[in-house]
Amino acid sequence: MGTLVLSGATSGSTTIAPTDAATVTATFPGATGTVMVSGNMPAFSAYSSVAQSISSSTYTKVTFDTKEFDTNNNFTSSRFTPTVAGYYQFTAGIQVAATTTTQLVFYKNGAVFKYGNQCPSISYVTNNSTALIYCNGSTDYVELYALFGATNNTNPSNSSVYFQASMVRAA
Amino acid sequence: MTLYDKIMALYPSLTQQDYMTVIILQNDSDGKGDYIAKWNHPTLAKPTQEQLDGVK
Repeated sequence: MGTLVLSGATSGSTTIAPTDAATVTATFPGATGTVMVSGNMPAFSAYSSVAQSISSSTYTKVTFDTKEFDTNNNFTSSRFTPTVAGYYQFTAGIQVAATTTTQLVFYKNGAVFKYGNQCPSISYVTNNSTALIYCNGSTDYVELYALFGATNNTNPSNSSVYFQASMVRAA
Repeated sequence: MTLYDKIMALYPSLTQQDYMTVIILQNDSDGKGDYIAKWNHPTLAKPTQEQLDGVK
């Protein structure tokens, strides 16, 4: 296996492009290959191990006390503030031990940004929701809020009340 | 009694849809409790703290 090394400046950017970029497409690797991208692409996963009471019809920030991983130390106080600008895929889940509707809401910079799925009033059903959100790499932050149809406690565990994100594309 | 319970005692006609559109109750899990983050109901006035405190 060969290795291509681009030598030159020690800072800035390096561009790999065909000489006629307007009409030629550069593709690598082949159709069955894999592009491995290393570097700083933040990702985190956290979960709640403590039951949290959420009042009826009240958008409540979900708190997470345990981190499974946080590759760039961007998740603190149940808030994700990535320091690399880009597009982030968020995934979250919540479960209630009682019968009530549940809805997850992704808040960006302290305000409702994306509504998630609304689960019907069935106990022990995990509500999973996703959102793709741009973050500017400095001030933008994302938090998870939950909306319950009736006052209840969450049913916490690593598999039932969680919050995750991963960068899918740089800005 | 939660903030939601107190508001419903004052305005029993409010619906779940109201709480997803014209009214937002919020709790930022910062120890300050539930509060009214948005009140844009077309006919019902935002309850005062005195009214809320009066609900038992």
